[in-house]
Amino acid sequence: MWRRSPSFILDERRSSNSPPMADTTRGPFQNSDSISAYYQTRAAHHGVITSDWLAQAQAAVGGVSGEEQSLSSDNQLGTEKSFNVIEEFNNWRKQPDLAEAVAAIRALAAVIRASEASTMMELEIELKKASDTLKSWDKTSISLTAGCDLFIRYVTRTSALEYEDFNSAKSRLLERAEKFGEISCKARRIIAMLSQDFIFDGCTILVHGLSRVVLEILKTAAQNNKLFRVLCTEGRPDGTGVLLSSELSKLDIPVKLLLDSAVAYSMDEVDMVFFGADGVVESGGIINMMGTYQIALVAHSMNKPVYVAAESYKFARLYPLDQKDMAPALRPIEFGVKIPTKVEVERSARDYTPPQYLTLLFTDLGVLSPSVVSDELIQLYL
Amino acid sequence: MPDVQSTVVEFVNKLRKRKIEGSQATAKCTVELLRSVISHQRVPHANQAAALIDAVKAVGEQLVAANPVELAVGNVVRRVLHIIREEDLSLTTAAMGGLDLLDASDDDDVDNCKGIGYPAMSAAVVAAAARSTLRPPSLQTLLEGTPESATVPYTSSSGADSESKTADKSSLTRKLKHDVIEGVNQLIHEIAGCHEQIAEQAIEHIHQNEVILTLGSSRTVLEFMCAAKEKKRSFRVFVAEGAPRYQGHLLAKELVARGLQTTVITDSAVFAMISRVNMVIIGAHAVMANGGVIGPVGVNMAALAAQKHAVPFVVLAGSHKLCPLYPHNPEVLLNELRSPSELLDFGEFSDCLDFGAGSGSIQVVNPTFDYVPPNLVSLFITDTGGHNPSYMYRLIADYYSADDLVM
Repeated sequence: MWRRSPSFILDERRSSNSPPMADTTRGPFQNSDSISAYYQTRAAHHGVITSDWLAQAQAAVGGVSGEEQSLSSDNQLGTEKSFNVIEEFNNWRKQPDLAEAVAAIRALAAVIRASEASTMMELEIELKKASDTLKSWDKTSISLTAGCDLFIRYVTRTSALEYEDFNSAKSRLLERAEKFGEISCKARRIIAMLSQDFIFDGCTILVHGLSRVVLEILKTAAQNNKLFRVLCTEGRPDGTGVLLSSELSKLDIPVKLLLDSAVAYSMDEVDMVFFGADGVVESGGIINMMGTYQIALVAHSMNKPVYVAAESYKFARLYPLDQKDMAPALRPIEFGVKIPTKVEVERSARDYTPPQYLTLLFTDLGVLSPSVVSDELIQLYL
Repeated sequence: MPDVQSTVVEFVNKLRKRKIEGSQATAKCTVELLRSVISHQRVPHANQAAALIDAVKAVGEQLVAANPVELAVGNVVRRVLHIIREEDLSLTTAAMGGLDLLDASDDDDVDNCKGIGYPAMSAAVVAAAARSTLRPPSLQTLLEGTPESATVPYTSSSGADSESKTADKSSLTRKLKHDVIEGVNQLIHEIAGCHEQIAEQAIEHIHQNEVILTLGSSRTVLEFMCAAKEKKRSFRVFVAEGAPRYQGHLLAKELVARGLQTTVITDSAVFAMISRVNMVIIGAHAVMANGGVIGPVGVNMAALAAQKHAVPFVVLAGSHKLCPLYPHNPEVLLNELRSPSELLDFGEFSDCLDFGAGSGSIQVVNPTFDYVPPNLVSLFITDTGGHNPSYMYRLIADYYSADDLVM
């Protein structure tokens, strides 16, 4: 997949020559050509209907759930338990207001509840297996990976402390997992509170993508009677701009929609840029919806501060060195007209913004500069 | 108690009238005042740390309100609060250790303790939870609940074997105050000694035959350069005069008195001379949490010039100048406008300054401070050593507690 050599024509020929492996042992979302489940879910939240989605919906209604069959016939994904985990996770993930990591932790909590283990060690092993299953099911979702890792780490640490009996430990874990949903909401509120001082009266904010955290920030600012206006990018192909602008106009915040290509044109009237993040990586950079890197570059060249709002459970142990250094996350893009088959489409759903273009990160751990992220990660995973 | 109140009021007035100049002097006076507040504060038996914290916070709020631009006041108040929390925590863990021993020896007490209502959790868990309240929130503590355990050791210790505990309790009371006062004395010592600590590092940064540029007058910079001179390094200094107060002139006189070859230049000549300079060293008024520097007006210009010509820009700051706040709009909110008479003579310009006249009038802006963003700073030299601007948050996490940020 390293399409760096000039001999890309040779590489093309080579890859098309090798027979496509009829992999029935791998799940439907495992080959490189696949659609990223994470971005599919986001699109579903945003109510974007693509032809692919329609096809899937039809198939589901048709009663043939190919997913179930391939999973149950699968040795690697194994037992009934893991089947439950993924279903559980999908159920939670579908709710539009729930963060991805919360869905993951709730799924793992379901594993604990259904577990018949009698010692902490057994429980830990079961949880590790379930978390590995979830992670391998959707490699492109960073919050999922980070949420699973965080929970496993927490379980390992609490089991290291001596508890008198297993049942109380188990119930405590369950309680904490359930509470995580509240923690996530609280995290959004803390972030909104921390960022209030940075929004001053009369400022113009540029927003890209539809992040629930950023929406919370803007809502809180409006509630505190701050006067500001928002420019939102259209956010093709998800159409996030239209959704965000309708949400903001409900709050009486003056909104202006921009084409994605009009960002540089409007940048000099902007005072600050706000992004959410799908994941925050070890270098302090962020992985976010396609277009974020572009806007950050423009903002940096015009000396505008770029602020990122992300909950702390999105910190991931990744260190991408360039844009293609992550697991590919593809999504279907509609152009409205038929594209000739020989024309390739860049379908990646996300990009990586290096830390030097970011000014500050607002997290529930406080206001951080990008260099603090790796410190926090080291503390957690040491 | 009443005479402590009057000293507080007196100090607040001094701050408001800007009678105390310089962050070191302000910090020292503030710490001494807080020390007397703590020693005169009467503390209840239970939750004494909370009582001390409330007392210090109340005084601290008044002091900060009196002079919000002098960030050293807020810094020092937060340092003292952090000391109180730390000493409280170390006493708690020591008490927990003592409780552990008792538990092992006496089975009845164990049942009593557990029965009192704290669920089956070992002392290790409680101590760990208490420790996490002191550290700033981190990924590690994300999933843990808010531990109410900080107050539990007191109740459980009072519930258990009362006879042997009463003696310990009263000694505990005295111990906390004593430890806090000791910590505060150490802080005073640190503040007083910051110049020597910083000057010790001079020899590593100033080399033979170098040309150094500085702006305005800072005692830290003076001592820094003199320390290098003592170690037989010969170098030249360019001093930008730092209009409108012209404190650069004073610094130049001092440097010449110590035997250094000095050149005085105007502020506007900084860009012209920067290419002949090896290093820029300035003293800061305050260092913010993102690594940005508040310094005397004109340093931003020197920093921009230094960046353009790839000259290292070194900032000297004692640890009492480290502020845990982020600068939102520092040019306005953390700045002070001084009297225009320093710039213009009222007598000559009286007709232009008359606003009622109708046709035009002169506005005079005389800011005291300048903000340098962190990307322009090469190195911070504090009494703990040399640091990167992106490392400042670490020092802040060491010196301050997250709960004290908003007062």
